[in-house]
Amino acid sequence: MIEDIIVFLKKYKSNKLGLVGLGILIFFVIAAIFAPYIAPYDPGHRYKSTEHPNSAHLLGTNHVGQDIVSELIYGTRVSLFITLFASIAAAFIGTFIGLIAGYFKRLDFFLMRIVDLFLTIPRLPLIIIIAAFMRPSIWNLIFVFALFEWSITARIIRSEVLTFKNRPYVDATRMFGAGDFHILGRHILPNVVPLVVVQLVLVSRYIILAESGLSFIGLGDPTAKSWGMMLHDAFEYPTIFISDIWMWWMLPAGLCIVFTILSLTFIGYALEELVNPRLRRVTTL
Amino acid sequence: MHMSAITKVVSYIIIIFIILSLNFFLPRMMPAGPLSGLTSSDKPVLEQYTNYMTNLMHGDLGWSTSKNAPVWDVLMRSLKWTLLLVGTSTVIYVIVGILSGAVSAWKKGKKTDVGLLVLLISMASFPPFFLGMLFIIFLGWKLDLFPRFGAQTLFIDYSTPFGVVLDILHHLTLPAATLTLTSIGVIYLLTRNSMLNVLGEDYILTARAKGLSEWYIMRRHALKNAMLPIITLVALIVGLVITGTIFVETVFAYPGVGMLVSDAISAHDYPLLQGAFLFIALAILAVNFIADMIYVHLDPRVKQE
Amino acid sequence: MSILKITHLKVHFPTEEGLVKAVNTVDFEMKENEKLGLIGETGCGKTVLGMSIIRLLQLATKIEGEIWYKGKDLLKLSEEEMRKIRGKEIAMILQNPTTSLNPVLKVGDQIAEAIQLHQGLAKRAAKEKAVEMLEAVKIPDASKRANEYPHEFSGGMKERVMIAMGLACEPSLIIADEPTKGLDVTIKMQIIKLMKEVTKQRAILFITHDLGVAAEICDNIAVMYAGELVEYAKTGDIFKNPLHPYTQGFLNSLPNRGLKPIRGMSPSLIDLPSGCRFHPRCDYAREICKTEHPEIVEKENGHHVRCFLYD
Repeated sequence: MIEDIIVFLKKYKSNKLGLVGLGILIFFVIAAIFAPYIAPYDPGHRYKSTEHPNSAHLLGTNHVGQDIVSELIYGTRVSLFITLFASIAAAFIGTFIGLIAGYFKRLDFFLMRIVDLFLTIPRLPLIIIIAAFMRPSIWNLIFVFALFEWSITARIIRSEVLTFKNRPYVDATRMFGAGDFHILGRHILPNVVPLVVVQLVLVSRYIILAESGLSFIGLGDPTAKSWGMMLHDAFEYPTIFISDIWMWWMLPAGLCIVFTILSLTFIGYALEELVNPRLRRVTTL
Repeated sequence: MHMSAITKVVSYIIIIFIILSLNFFLPRMMPAGPLSGLTSSDKPVLEQYTNYMTNLMHGDLGWSTSKNAPVWDVLMRSLKWTLLLVGTSTVIYVIVGILSGAVSAWKKGKKTDVGLLVLLISMASFPPFFLGMLFIIFLGWKLDLFPRFGAQTLFIDYSTPFGVVLDILHHLTLPAATLTLTSIGVIYLLTRNSMLNVLGEDYILTARAKGLSEWYIMRRHALKNAMLPIITLVALIVGLVITGTIFVETVFAYPGVGMLVSDAISAHDYPLLQGAFLFIALAILAVNFIADMIYVHLDPRVKQE
Repeated sequence: MSILKITHLKVHFPTEEGLVKAVNTVDFEMKENEKLGLIGETGCGKTVLGMSIIRLLQLATKIEGEIWYKGKDLLKLSEEEMRKIRGKEIAMILQNPTTSLNPVLKVGDQIAEAIQLHQGLAKRAAKEKAVEMLEAVKIPDASKRANEYPHEFSGGMKERVMIAMGLACEPSLIIADEPTKGLDVTIKMQIIKLMKEVTKQRAILFITHDLGVAAEICDNIAVMYAGELVEYAKTGDIFKNPLHPYTQGFLNSLPNRGLKPIRGMSPSLIDLPSGCRFHPRCDYAREICKTEHPEIVEKENGHHVRCFLYD
C-alpha cells in the first residue's frame, strides 16, 4: 500500500497543472492555519470605517471599520473550514452508503432509490431555501451541504464495488471464511479510496462555489465572515461601483475565491487523469 | 409508451409531490427559527396541508409581504425576464460549448486545445456574481458601454418598438454574458471528454478505413455518440444555469425570479421565497424530464428495451 | 501482374513503455486476384502490417520502406490522395465487428456512405446499392435489415455486414483482419465459403491466426513472427513441408495434429530477442541462432524461409 502511494505521488509530480493547483491550495491552507499570527488585527475589531488603504490598514477598512486584510486572512479559515468539513462528511456518508449498496444486494434497491431522489432534486435551490429557514451559522451551512453532496459519491462508489464484488479473489477470500465486513474493509475499500479522493476534491470545489454564493445573497454567518460574506458586505455598500472602494474591498476577496476554486479544479483534473481505470491496480491492505 | 418511460414519469411525479410537501413542512420543521408566528395556526396540520395543496392547484401561492401582492402575480411579472436571460444564455453556451469541446478533442494536445482548456477552466472558476461585478465595473462604469442594472431603461418613451427591443438587448448583454461565460466550462469539458472517448473507438477506425474525411467522421459518426452522455448531464447543466441566474440577477438587479429569491431573503418574505423556490425547482425538474425523454429517443439501444 | 509490392517495410511506434517494433523489414508481393494468408500469433504485428498498408496508424508512428500499389508508393501520397484509395481501391475489414460498427447508425447507411463518397451516387441510389451488397453476403430480408442497427444482428451477421462494407466500392485489394475470430465453427465455415464466392475477382490479404481457415481460401501463406516473415510458400507446401521450426510448431498445435503447444511465450515487440527472434523457443537452436539474424532464402518451388537450418 505504501508503494502504491509513492508511485502515485511520483505520477502526480509529472502533472504540471496538478502541481500548480496543489501549490495554491497549500498556500491557502497555511494562511488559514496560521491566521492569528499572520493577520495584523483581530478581524472583528472596529476602527475607522471605509478607510482607504494606508500604512495601518493595507487594504483599508470596511463599512463598519474592520480591517480588510485581517478579514481576508480569517476568511480563509471560514471558507476552508466549511468546505473541508462538509466535503469530508459528504464523502464519508457517500462512501459508506455506496459500499453497503454495492455489496449487499437486498439493501441496494432501496438505497439507490434514495440516491436517485437526492440526485434528481435540484440541489442548490433546496440548499438555499433550507439555509434561509435556518439560523445563519457555519454549522448549519456545513450540515446543509453535507446533506446534498453525498449522493454522487454514493453512486460512483457503488458501481466500483459492484465490479470488485465478483472478482475471483474475493470469492477465494470468502471461501477461507472471511466475513463480509472484513472483505469490505480490507479488499474493496482500498481500491475505492482513489475514487473517493477525486470525489472529495470535486465536491469541495462545488461547495466553495456554492458557499460563496449563499453568503453573497445573505445566508452566511455574519460572525464568521467567509470571502462570500465580504463580497456581500461590499455589494450592499451604496457607492461600491462608482468609487474606487471595490479595488481593495471586493477584488481581493473575489480573487481568493477564484484562485481556491482554480486550485481545486487543477488538482481534480490531475487526479482524474491518474485514477483512470487504465492505471488502477488491485490493492489489498 | 415503453416501460422505462412510464417508470420515469412516475418517479418525476413522486419527486414533484415530495418537493411540494417539503415546501409546506420546511418552515414548520425548523427549530425556533425566525418563523414562529408565521405558521402557527389553530387548525390541525393535516387540514393545513390539504388547504395548502388545494391552494397550489389554484395557483394561490400566498401573499408576498414585501411586494404587497399575491405571490403568483409577482412571480409572473418576473418570469419573462428570467426566461429571456436563461434562454439566451443557454442557446449561446450550448452551441459554443459543444463546438469548442469538439474542436479541442480533435486537436488534442496541440496549442488550440491547451489554450481552450486553460481559458475555459479559468472562466468556470469565477463565481458568477464576482464576474458580474467585474463586468459592471469595467464595462459598465469605466467604459460606459452597457447599463449597469435593470432590464429596461425606465421612464423613457421609445417612438418605435424597435427602440424598446434594442434597449432590452442592451440591458441583457452583461447579465447574459456573465451567465454564459460561467456556464460554458462545464459543457466544454464534457464534450471534450466525451469526444475523446468516442474518437478512440473502433468504429471511428472503420470510418477512416472507408476513406471518409475527418470532418465528416466528426460530424456523422463521432458527434452523435458523444452527445449521448452529454444529454444525460444536460439536466445537471441547466440546473446549474438556472441556479446561477439567482446570483447574476441579484448583481445586475435584473428583475427576474432569481432576484426575487435574494429580495425575499433580505426582506424575510417567506411566502415569496417559497413561491420562487417552487418555480425554480419545478423548472429544473421539467428540464431534467425533457432531457431524459430525449435520451431515450436518441439511443437506439435503449429504445429497444 | 503485381498489385501490391511491399519493400523493406518497418513500422515502429513509441509508447510509454518503449519503442514497439511491430514490423521489422517485411518484403512480399501480391498478384491480382491472389489470396495471401498472413499467419501468426496474436501480437506478432500482422494487424499493424495490414493497417500500415492503408496508413490507418497514428501520426506518431515511424514508417520506413515502400508500399507499391498499382505503380504508386502509398507511403509518399498525401492524406487526401490516400483517402481516395481507402475503401475504394483497398478496403480493410477490421477485426471485431461488434465494436467496429457504429451503434447509433443504421447498417444500410454505414454501407451506403462509402458508396456515396467513392462512387458519387445520390443517397437513394447508394442505399439501394447497399441493400444489394447485403444480399450478396447472403443476409436474408436485406432491404428490411438495412434499416436496422448493429446490435440487432448476431456475430456472424455483423461479420457479413463488415464484408459487405468492404466490397461495396469494388476494391481491387481487400485486407481482411481476423474475419472469423470468435465465431462458431459452423458460422466460420459459412463466412469462409461466402468470402470465396464474393472475392473471386479480387486480391485478398487474409490476416488470421487460424491456419485451418486460411487453408480453405488462400493460395499462398506467409508466416509472421515477431514482426518479420519467417516462411512463405504455396498453401499446400506449407502443410506438406513446413520448413521453419515455428511453422512446424504452429502446425503441431492444431487440434487435428495433436494440440502440442510451442514452449515459451511470444516475444515482446519492445524487447526483441537477439539474433533469430525465435531462438529462445526453438528446439533446433544453435550458437549462431543466438547471435546472428538469419536472412530469407529461397528454396525450391518458390518456398522461402528465414532460418539457419537452411542456409
